[in-house]
Amino acid sequence: MIRTAPMIQTASVIQTAALGTFTLYRRRLAVATKTASGIAGTMTPPVLWVLLIAPALDTALGDFSPNIDYFTYVAVAQVALIVPFTSMFSGINVIVDKEFGILREFLVAPVFRASIPLANALAVLTIASVQVALIIGLGSARGAQFDTSATGVLWFISAVALLSVITYAIAEVLALAVGRQEAFGPLIPAIGVTPWFLSGSLFPISVLPPVVEQVALLFPWTYALALMRYGMMEDTDPGLENIWHMDSEPLMAALSLGVLVLMAGAALALSIRVFNRKTMS
Amino acid sequence: MNGYLIEELASATIREQRDLAGVNRPEMSRSVNTNGVAQPRADGEAVVSVRDLRKTYAGGVEALRGISFEVREGEIFGMLGPNGAGKTTTIGILTTTVRPSSGSALVAGHDVVRDPLAVRGAIGVVFQESVLDNDFSGLDNLRLHARLWRVPRDEADERIASLLESMELTDRAGDGVRTYSGGMRRRLEIARALLANPQVLFLDEPTLGLDPAVRQDIWDAIEQLRRRYGVTVVLSTHYLEEAERVCDRVAIVHQGRVVALETPKALLGALGEEAVELKVDDPAAVLPALAGLGLNGSSPLVMGKTITIPLTDGSMQAAGLMEEIRASGITAIAMGIRRTTLNDAFLKLTGAGVNGHNGG
Repeated sequence: MIRTAPMIQTASVIQTAALGTFTLYRRRLAVATKTASGIAGTMTPPVLWVLLIAPALDTALGDFSPNIDYFTYVAVAQVALIVPFTSMFSGINVIVDKEFGILREFLVAPVFRASIPLANALAVLTIASVQVALIIGLGSARGAQFDTSATGVLWFISAVALLSVITYAIAEVLALAVGRQEAFGPLIPAIGVTPWFLSGSLFPISVLPPVVEQVALLFPWTYALALMRYGMMEDTDPGLENIWHMDSEPLMAALSLGVLVLMAGAALALSIRVFNRKTMS
Repeated sequence: MNGYLIEELASATIREQRDLAGVNRPEMSRSVNTNGVAQPRADGEAVVSVRDLRKTYAGGVEALRGISFEVREGEIFGMLGPNGAGKTTTIGILTTTVRPSSGSALVAGHDVVRDPLAVRGAIGVVFQESVLDNDFSGLDNLRLHARLWRVPRDEADERIASLLESMELTDRAGDGVRTYSGGMRRRLEIARALLANPQVLFLDEPTLGLDPAVRQDIWDAIEQLRRRYGVTVVLSTHYLEEAERVCDRVAIVHQGRVVALETPKALLGALGEEAVELKVDDPAAVLPALAGLGLNGSSPLVMGKTITIPLTDGSMQAAGLMEEIRASGITAIAMGIRRTTLNDAFLKLTGAGVNGHNGG
């Protein structure tokens, strides 16, 4: 065999990884958008939240802080609910591919095994982006007061993307661990919703009992929500201060981002490891 | 980053993979005679080489206990044996979905453990269970495979058209695969496995669960594809009569070991052409009486209530033996003459039928 220079080999490895991941990513998106019901199921929750549920919550609970526009507060919370939900539901696709579908074909394809979960995560990120755009767009139209500075948007997007990756990785690990749709289904609300309620979605974590407040600090939702609101509701939300108890908001934002990056890295590494273990005898 | 990923990262370059996978080779470049018909070459290079392969699964189940064989270029090589013999594990190792416990395996010159990505670039696989993307059409499934194996678009379109025609699926290519029959799904999977012009095609029980007429169609298609594309085929089956028809050589696998490795003709030759078959109530009671007849070295094979006596000695006549059996007073429910089969060879070599029953 002709030996090639290391640089060429590295380029080929990157090319193989990129092309394989992209092909699998396109296929996953095609699955998600194959049916009208699939598209409707993805797009309806953001619309319902913004047009019906958020205004109702604003009317019922909107007076808890004079500094906070509660409709905007809840609009950000919707992002932190819907994006992980999409991620969790995509875990079902992992089970379908493994039990009834095409996964075995992918396992004997000349692509890196890690490309399979990575492509799934990227597809979830893409779908989540559309949902977030819908929430922000409709929310703005309904009167939400987003701070839209470039830096703020960057903080917001980073938090959404990392939360999406973390929750997808958790979904994939759980899906591979339980292995059956009927066992995975009940986990979606338990894992996808319960932490959201405790993470400062509808009310600040400071109003929780002290023990529960400490538990909330274990959830990625807590850091993501505080960071998202820091990006989109400048200086009005006390989320970061409730976590870190510091004075510098940029520092607290950076620390929250760091926590999310660590959680995403660990979750993704775990999901790739579990994927390899579950698909290789 | 886990160890397996690191191993993959050390794999061959893309050009090497594609060259080795045969994607860049023109069709019919291997072992082709003057009539344009691909032939297996008895002196061909080994494209699959397995040495003392062992696999023990978690929990201690020993699936492979030291398997060795080689498959030559252009050959149709069959692995025969009952469920649990180790056939699927062997194919799993050769297709890089099962990690061997020890031993070595090379496919198209690449080590399955050290260079799995290059191995996967050089193979096509048809799995025991149907493995299709059920949300899409047959054509979509083929196009996805072409993209994953990085077949250039123009080349892929040509090959897809050619393979769909060979598999008689052109008219249904645009239909969702959920609407396909079992035979159509299997034909589509074979077409898909051949799309990237693999050096080795692995077929794991390709006719399992299909009705006899469809099974016949599948084997005809495999033979036709071998003639047309000259691909090396490694298949596993427990339909021995089918393997006898299509395989150039067969390995009989029993309890994780290869107990015979020969051409079907050689295996059958050791048994003679014909056998006398008796159905009796109590084989154990009948065997001593048969021994008393002097069978000229032929050993009766017992499967349930059936005793088969291959006429290994050419001088022995089936009709004469049947007459002797009747005259000896042995009471048979039924008795007849039939051609010897690989099932008889399997029974003789393992003492068990291919369905796993003890020969008694």
